[in-house]
Amino acid sequence: MSRKQLDRILLAVVALAAFGLPLVVTSPTYLQILILLFFYAYLTTAWNLVGGFAGVLPLGHSVFVGIGAYTSSILTLQYGVSPWIGMLVGGAIAAVIGVIIGLPTFRMRGAYFCLCTIAFAEGIRVMVENIDTLGPLKINGPRGLLVPLLKDPTFWDYQFMSKLPYYYIILVLLILVLAFTWFISRSKVGYYLAAGGEEPEAAAALGINVANYKLFAMALSCFLTALAGTFYAQLMLYFYPKGLMGLDLSFEIAFIALIGGRGTIAGPVIGALLLRPLNEFTRIYLSDMLPGLHLVIFGLILILVMIYLPKGLTAPLSALYDRLARKITVQGEAK
Amino acid sequence: MTAVIQAALNGAMMGAMYGLTALGLTLIFGVMKVVNFAHGSLLMVGMFSAYWLIRLTGIHPYLALVIVPPVLFVFGYYLQNVVIKPVFKAEGQVREPLTVIIVTTGVWYVLDNLALMLFGAEYRTVRTAISNKSFALGEFIISIPKFSGFVVAIATAIGLALFMRKTKTGKALRATSLDREAANLMGIDQYRIYNIAFGLGTAIAGIAGCVLIPFYYVYPSVGVVFDIRAFIIVVLGGLGSIPGALLGGLVIGLIESVFSQFMASTWTEAIIYAIFLIILFVKPSGFFGHKQDW
Repeated sequence: MSRKQLDRILLAVVALAAFGLPLVVTSPTYLQILILLFFYAYLTTAWNLVGGFAGVLPLGHSVFVGIGAYTSSILTLQYGVSPWIGMLVGGAIAAVIGVIIGLPTFRMRGAYFCLCTIAFAEGIRVMVENIDTLGPLKINGPRGLLVPLLKDPTFWDYQFMSKLPYYYIILVLLILVLAFTWFISRSKVGYYLAAGGEEPEAAAALGINVANYKLFAMALSCFLTALAGTFYAQLMLYFYPKGLMGLDLSFEIAFIALIGGRGTIAGPVIGALLLRPLNEFTRIYLSDMLPGLHLVIFGLILILVMIYLPKGLTAPLSALYDRLARKITVQGEAK
Repeated sequence: MTAVIQAALNGAMMGAMYGLTALGLTLIFGVMKVVNFAHGSLLMVGMFSAYWLIRLTGIHPYLALVIVPPVLFVFGYYLQNVVIKPVFKAEGQVREPLTVIIVTTGVWYVLDNLALMLFGAEYRTVRTAISNKSFALGEFIISIPKFSGFVVAIATAIGLALFMRKTKTGKALRATSLDREAANLMGIDQYRIYNIAFGLGTAIAGIAGCVLIPFYYVYPSVGVVFDIRAFIIVVLGGLGSIPGALLGGLVIGLIESVFSQFMASTWTEAIIYAIFLIILFVKPSGFFGHKQDW
């Protein structure tokens, strides 16, 4: 058995397991936890296109989740447009806004970009909280939007009576965005991005227009992030600016990526697999005893991983897999 | 008009507090090239230290100014030495190591939530002898604790600027901020300078904590309010610039208080962000920034 075959088998097993998981997990509560886990893995993978491959640190991505959720919900509520179409419109708006943020900031040092994304995201959140109606659009200020529960929802309504369709939608979205990331990381664009992220001056000297490739990555990442916003709105049927567009979500996305492994394909998924359940369970079981303890643990993990594994958890895991794979393939050949 | 001028005076005094917080942030960034996300938390530590010191010993609030900043210097010195330095070493000579930013975020989470576990979420104030005192300046009323805060902020900025120019350590700090490798070759121990810079930044947060406590609430996440302001201020004034931090603080304080005379105060926050973004588009190096830093 060659290494390539082994990789394929492993991938197939993981994919099959993911598709078959709802056969085992039937409780809606646990299914919801899984859906949110994939939701975070998806968001982090989208973030990774900028934060990982382009080598900058955006800390305001929740604003694009918000743009996606608000766009599709307002279009559905006020104009009767299907959320599926609203989702794409929201993605397009988010991409344009992402480019607007990126244009002045990508030419600057990393710290400026980082602070600018925070200021932009917080600025938009504060504005949304202050606006009740914007022209014909009802935004509802800090109260957020309620997507009404339909009696007999069809697929076109992006609303389902059971959790199962949501599970498969986010799973397919996740697989698509992972495949897309894989494709980009092997393409010329991916190499240019990596070069521009590590050594912008050297890359520019080689004739790579670093800022343009970063803008492209930013637009893509914002577009994909906004799609998840629509998904969240349709899953929860309620959202408000502070919860959806606040800094907490932006930071959590970045943390998952950094702990999992920035700039790797598996990193965001591994990070979400580890941090999401940890987050849920410590919050449920520890916050009653001592409020804040779960976030102390979260912070400590972050510090320890950054000190001992600055490249994230993916690096040692893939080294382990390499060793195992070598053993298996060598044994296979010996037979 | 009177109301507007009164608001401007109050805004300038509050702005000096923002500026004082930003001063430590800009010092740490200037030397280490790291945005310290834990800075608001360090301010919170300073405020709680001053709070407990005054509460438990009953000393005059401004006597805390002699005790809290040195303690916080030591705290910051060792925080950088134990927690942040290893990440720097792992990253090597990257100019702006992003992992360090994330570690400071981790420190923020840990400190804020430790405070929440220890002291609970309630808002605390100490009633001190000077808390409600004020004096009249013509037809305007100036609160004494806010005014002393303003004076202390300006004195701190001047003191820091003198320290950076006149002392050997200050010169070493500036050398490291200009060129890490060259400073290293001149025999300056990079990591010791980082310890000192972080310690000084923390001590300044301690000073801010001491002057804030007579008129401001302290609670575990109080730092976040100042954090976001301080980020905007340092970009406004130019990352790494001492006068820029103070001036930026005053500008933000003035905008906040004067605009809130004309509109809901929640809108002033949006205006601050908008002005910040406009400056970033028009003059990204801020009022006093060096071109090479962006």
